[in-house]
Order: sequence, then C-alpha cells, then structure tokens
Amino acid sequence: MNEPVVVRNLAKTFYDEARGEVRAVQGIDFECRVGEIFGLLGANGAGKTTTLRMLSTILTPTSGSAEILGHDVVADPASVRKSLGFYSASTALYPRLTARETIEFFARINQYPREKVRERVDYLIGRFGIAQYANARVDKLSTGMKQKVSIARTVAHDPPLLIFDEPTVGLDVLNALEMQDVIKEFRAHGKTIVFSTHIMSEAEKLCDRIAIIHDGKILACNTLENLRQVTGVHYLEDIFVHYVRGQG
Amino acid sequence: MNWETIRVLLIHELRMLVRDRRTVILAVGIPLLMMPIILYAMKSINERRERTLVETVYKYAVTGTEAEKLRSILARAKESQARAGKEKGEHERLERFKFEEVNVQDPAASLRNKDIHFYLEALSGPQADALPKKKKEQDEAASQADSIRKEILPVSTRLPGVPLILVYYQGDQDASQAGESKMRDLLLRERRNGRDAILIDHGFPVDPLKVISINDKSLASAGQVTGSWVGRFLTAFLVMFLLTGGSVVALDIVAGEKERGSLETLLTTAARHGEIVAAKQLTIVLVAILITVIHIANILAYVTFRIIKMPEDFVIEAPPGTVVTLLLLFIPVAAFVSSILLMLSAYAKTYKEAQLYFFPVYLLCLTPSFAAVLPGVSLRSAIVIVPLANVSVAVREILVGKFDWPMIGLTFVAMATAAFWTVRASARMLSQERLITSSEADVADFAGGPALFPKRVLRWYALLGVILISVALNVPQLATLRRQVLFNELVLFLAGPLLMIWRYRLNLKEALAFRTVKPAVWLAALLIIPSGNLVGIGVFRLADLVIPVPRQMLEQFGQELTPPGMPMWQIILLLAVLPGICEEIAFRGTLLYGLRRKFRPAGLAVVVGLIFGLFHVALFRIIPTGFMGVVLTAIALFTGSIFPGMVVHAGNNAFAFWAGRQGYPLAGLNWPLYLAALAIFGLSFYILYRNRTPYPDLRN
Repeated sequence: MNEPVVVRNLAKTFYDEARGEVRAVQGIDFECRVGEIFGLLGANGAGKTTTLRMLSTILTPTSGSAEILGHDVVADPASVRKSLGFYSASTALYPRLTARETIEFFARINQYPREKVRERVDYLIGRFGIAQYANARVDKLSTGMKQKVSIARTVAHDPPLLIFDEPTVGLDVLNALEMQDVIKEFRAHGKTIVFSTHIMSEAEKLCDRIAIIHDGKILACNTLENLRQVTGVHYLEDIFVHYVRGQG
Repeated sequence: MNWETIRVLLIHELRMLVRDRRTVILAVGIPLLMMPIILYAMKSINERRERTLVETVYKYAVTGTEAEKLRSILARAKESQARAGKEKGEHERLERFKFEEVNVQDPAASLRNKDIHFYLEALSGPQADALPKKKKEQDEAASQADSIRKEILPVSTRLPGVPLILVYYQGDQDASQAGESKMRDLLLRERRNGRDAILIDHGFPVDPLKVISINDKSLASAGQVTGSWVGRFLTAFLVMFLLTGGSVVALDIVAGEKERGSLETLLTTAARHGEIVAAKQLTIVLVAILITVIHIANILAYVTFRIIKMPEDFVIEAPPGTVVTLLLLFIPVAAFVSSILLMLSAYAKTYKEAQLYFFPVYLLCLTPSFAAVLPGVSLRSAIVIVPLANVSVAVREILVGKFDWPMIGLTFVAMATAAFWTVRASARMLSQERLITSSEADVADFAGGPALFPKRVLRWYALLGVILISVALNVPQLATLRRQVLFNELVLFLAGPLLMIWRYRLNLKEALAFRTVKPAVWLAALLIIPSGNLVGIGVFRLADLVIPVPRQMLEQFGQELTPPGMPMWQIILLLAVLPGICEEIAFRGTLLYGLRRKFRPAGLAVVVGLIFGLFHVALFRIIPTGFMGVVLTAIALFTGSIFPGMVVHAGNNAFAFWAGRQGYPLAGLNWPLYLAALAIFGLSFYILYRNRTPYPDLRN
C-alpha cells in the first residue's frame, strides 16, 4: 500500500531582491505512514513551513515531487487540498463569522457531504467544548477559544491527513498542552499527521518519527529510539545539535 | 467549476460585507442620508444667492471725459425699465436690475474696498483709439486698469473714432460679476435701442425689430434630445458607480484577506482558484450593481419629488429592445471593471496599498468612458475596438435611436474580449505565490541579463512608444518629416534595441535573428512584396466598408507622408530602406525575441503585428500596418531570420511610394485583382512553409 505522503527530491527556491537566491528547501525525501505523527523538527528558517506549504499546494515546488494520498501536488492540487486539513499559527479565521458559521463554512467549502454538515458541526462544537460561544463572532473570542475554533475548522471535513505547522507558537502552556492532546487524539482516530515544530519537548512527546531539517535539507529521519541509538545521546535537543553541528 | 462551492463562497463574502457595519454605513447609509441634506443645502444656497443678487442695489461710479453722456444713457435705460415693467427671460433679468451711482474720488480703490460693485469709464472716440498705443508706451509700468483694458478692449470690433465704455469689476466677487454682467447687457440694449431710433429718425420705413424674425426648430424628438444628453454620460456614470460601489468590497476582498492571514486559510481548502476568483468577482459585481441601483433609485426619488428639477422636455425613450441592448453591453463592462478591481486587490499587499492604487485605476477606467462626450465621434471608427470608449459611444447612439447593429455587435465582441482577458488575468494573479510570500522577485529578476529581458521587453516598448509620441508632439525641431523619420528610425528603432541588447547582455545574432536562409526564401520574399502590398490594401478596403476612414484624413496623411518636392531617391532611402532595416531590428528583432516564449506562434505574430501597428500611431492605420506587421512576423517565424523581412518591408514601402508617384490606383483596383494577389501571396507562404527553418526556442 502506498504511504499517504510521499516526498521525493522536493526543492523550492525563492528569488528575493533583498536576500537574493534563497534555496529554502533543497531536495528532501520522506514518507509518512498511515496513522502516524511525522515531525519536521528544525530551527526558524530551516524550511519547515515552505515544505508544508508545498504539501498543501500553496507553493509550487521548484523541482521534485510530492504525493498526498496518491494525488500529485502539482498535477492535482484540488484533490490534494480536499484530502488534507492545514493548520498554521499564521493562518487566521474570518473575524465577522461566528464559531459555528466558521466550521460550517469550511466543511462546505471542503465539499463535506451537505446533508451531514450540521451533524458534523454539532459534533465538533461538542468535541472542542465551544458550545457556549458557538454563536459569538470570532473577533470577540479569546486566543484559546480561537485556537479551538481553528482546529475545528481544520478537521471540519474530516480529512485523512492533517498538517500542523508550528501549532503551539504563541500559545500559553495550558493551551499548548491541550493542542498536543488534540493531536494525539487525532492519531488515535487513525489520522496521518505531519507536524512541524522547533520545540524539542513537543517533538519528543508527540512524534512517532522525526525528520531533522536544517538549511532546507533533511539531516536525519527516524524514530526517536533509533536516533538515540545512532547518535548515542539521549535527549532530542542533543540529537538535534549533533546533526546540525555535524553538518556544519 | 463547482457551482455549489462558488455559491457558498459568494454567500460567505456577502455575509462578511453585510456584517462590516462601518463599511455598509459609509458606502450606503451615509450617501443615502447625505444626499437630501446636500441637495437641500445646495437648493437653499442657490435660492439665497439668486435672491441676494436680485435684491441687491448695485452701486457704481462713472468716470471718464464722456461721463455725462453715459449718465444720460443710463437715465434712458432706467426709463425703459420703468416702461417695460416685468417681462420674462432676459428682459425680466434686466428690468429687475437695480443700480445706483455713487460719487467716489478713486473708483479703482473704491472697487477694491468693496464700496462699489463696479465702475464705468466713458471715453471719447479719439481717446479710445489711443488706448492700444498708450498701452504699448506704458508697457513696463502698466497700471492695473491698463492691464484690464488690454483684456477687455474690443479692438477688432470697434471702428476708429467710436466712443468706448469700459466696465471695471472684480471677477473674484459674485456681486461685482453679476452687476457687471447686467450693466453690460443693459448698455448693449440701450445701444440697440439708440441705433433703432436713429434708423427710424432717418426714415427707415418699419420698426427694425420687425424686419426679420428668426425662430429655430429641432427635428429631433424630445426623447432623442434627452437620449443624446443622457447617452453622453450614462456609461461614464455607470463605470464611476461600478468602480466606487465595487471598491467597497473589492479592496478588502484579497488585500484585506492577505493582511489578516485568512487568504492562506482559504487557499488550503478544496476550493479551486478559479472558483475562488469567480465567487470574488461575482461578489464585486453584485455589490457594485446593488450600490449603483441604490444610488440611481435615490436620485430618481429626488427627481420624482422635484427636489432635483429636470428640464420640462426631459423624456427618456427606452423601449424593451433598447433596455435589453444596453444591458447586454453593460454586462461585459461590469465584468471588466470587477476584474480590474480584483487584480488591484490581488496586486496590493495591504488594504492601504490597495486604496493607494485605486485612484489612478479609477481615472484610467473613467477617461475612456467619457468618449461619448467627444464631438463627432461615431461608432463606425477605430473607437469600436477600444474597451469602455466603444460602449460609451454605442450607448449614446442607441439612446438617440441609431441602431448600427454590426457595430454594436463588434462593440460587444471587443468589450467581451477585454472582459474575458481581464477575468483570466485576475484568476492568474490569484494563483501567484506572491499572494502569500514576501518574495516578489523570481529567477529572472534575480539572474538579470537575458533571463530578465522577456519580463521587461514590453516595458521597453511602452517607453519607446511614449518617447515617440511625446517627441512628435513637443519637439518643434523634429517637426519636419525628414527629421522625425530620422529620429524615429535611428534613435528609437535602432539605438533603442541596441541599448536593450547591451543592457541585458543579449547575444546580438540571436536577439536580432541574424541567420542565413535557403535560396527559395528569397523568391518567396520577392513575390510577397507586390502581392502582400495589394492584399494589405484589399484588407484595408474591406475594413473600410465596416469602419470607414474619412477621405480627407487619408489625403492629408498621404500629402504629409510624401511631400511633393521630395526626390524619389530620398523617399526610398527615408521611407523604405531605413524602416526596412531599423523597424525590423526593433520589431522582428528584439521585440519578437523577447516575446517568443510568452505566446504561441500564431498569438506571437498577432501581438508583434499589433504592436507594430500601434507604433504607426494613427488609429486608422492599425489595420493595414498591423496586417503588414503580422505578415513580417510570420516571415521571421517561418525563416528564423530577420533578413527576408527586411527585404519585404523595404520592398513593400518602396513599391507603395513608387506606385503612388506613378499614379497607379492600387486602392481602386477590381476585386479579382486583389484575389489574384492573394493567390500569389498564399503561394509565397507555401514556399516559405516548404523551406521553413523555424524561429528557435518558440513556445509550443
């Protein structure tokens, strides 16, 4: 059986008048397996967001290929987007919609069966505990509430693949922990999750396999146990430093 | 296209707009509330102004050697006023004019101090005759009064020796201006009365006023007159409303989403870019139309309640056929305007930036919409292919009852094509990565040199076009034909491309397609010279059936292009050889090279041909020169070389001038001869096709 995410020699180069040629991603390869949390671990500017944006078809790769559930990100972007939910700390909600309307809008726009939309929205409102403010406009909600609505809209159409791009950036400890619990729960429900972070403890706790990405290249990709064995160090932070310094 | 997705997106956009209370209030509420207040205020101000001007007793002073004579004229005028009583129209205005002389020492100072509204200076004939002379003598230290005299002295209409009355007033003051105007009219009436009295005293048999009566009568119906008036402004007002109404939602629809970060969220959904664009465009169109309808209904309400007074013969004749035709023409206009707004919003990084771009875009769209105001512009002219301008003229013609169906059809096709292109362009813009990334440059920008040239080539040619027109209009030293041709050919079309080659480090031979060709190509080139020329004339004649070019314009152009005294060798050198070399370097050289990957070969030939036609400036020449441009580009594409085109271009021009000098009526041949030329022309291209060595690196 094909893996839900297959990335081959994927590269992205930007040309910026101020910074010149920026090779944000330089020919990376990885695969994600069904029902696992695959972590992209890297410092800021390592190429995590660019990689995830290519997977979600917002950016077109300069070279290489990526397939999401058998759909090529360049040849069939609409099918790719239909199969995934994309969450990023930088993505925003519509301030003048209510929480309920937001979830409903994203369910419908992602072509969730029309007759099941109401049921799905009610389920998500219950699941994320947002019933109390389901009819309040998003711009009136607190950061934590917005985060819950944001997660709910990401999974509104019940996609098999979820992409989380640094989901805990800007959250307090409690909200960050809640986010981690939610991601674990999604895995428990059989979702495949691609997760990027620069926080070592998060990757340690959540990821079944970790790819260490630096300067647009994947330096290592394995389970945490195997990474420990290969490097001979225990903590992920040390493992990360081992690879990054070794590469330098 | 998934219409359900478009529907969901459309409802979503409208919901977002309706919930933006501030925008709704600013765009709809405040104009609706403000309109009656503004109208009422304007009406009150006008009435008050009128009342004040009517009730004012205008104070004036009289000066000059003939002051007493003038006073007696004014006394007679007062008697006439008393006799006439209250009459209608201009007379009513004069009879209600109250004026009172004031004694002042220095009338000019009193006028400046607002002690009087105006003053009169009465001069004898000799004094008046001396005025221009006096003015010249005192030119360096001219007093204020003299400078006023200089402006108002009717030297050309006043016979020598005739006395003169000068009325001095302050043009910056309402009351002074109104008083001067009425006094001037009053004096003119008194002059006429005096003249008539002299005629009668000298035995003129009848009352001079009864010699002849002149009345006018318009043969146009009231509906046609109204249609002509409304038609001039309807398209411009519609475009104005569509732009301002559409901008309410358009500026925020992409730029605002970018700024808030919700665009990235939307772009990761299953909605296709085409569906997102369609929904956003529909939103802009709907909002624009809705706001337009609200404002028009608002104005109509005020017209109905007589708050805005319309002329009594204001009659709009709009049978269903007319309304449907107008609506059909306005549909592509709405699509065009909404796409332009969407592109503006997609191009801007923020809402504020979008606002900055809005005003120039507004002016650019509005200007052609006023084409119907231009006197004498008919739809049967090149204007039929200019978007917005064509609809503007078509609407005026339709509203006066002139239904030129072929041209209305052509207008619709041209406008719909422009709308289709802008819709596509806006869809492409929404697919660009710069919507969500900060990197604006691409590989070409970064690499520079030859890679950047295709991105910049059209800007260069736009610059050349601007220089060509600006120099022709503003540099008198280049006003002669020889100098203008030399400047255009050597500076713009030769030095310009060489500068581009140097700037972008292009390979000279590649950029200018300096390649040898097979011998058979030369045979084809020689055959194309006369046959292409005749086919071009035939195309022009066919086009002339649809869009006639005024004969006078053609004759004038012919005379300007080939002054009678110019020797043939100079004509051949300046107007055939030089364009053959320089224009080919410019158009089939660097322009074709720069655009070769942007269009497929057929489109490339049309685009290069059209740009070549546009550089010949006169709109009526676009068809023949554009046709020749397409032919020359096609030759370059078939042969991969610039040389055959140079020969054909120079040969074609030389052939045309030679035939013109010999008096051969090439533009008046029988149609079978043109068909024969077409056959030879086709054979020539067949030869080119069989011996083709295609232009390299074309887009498939």
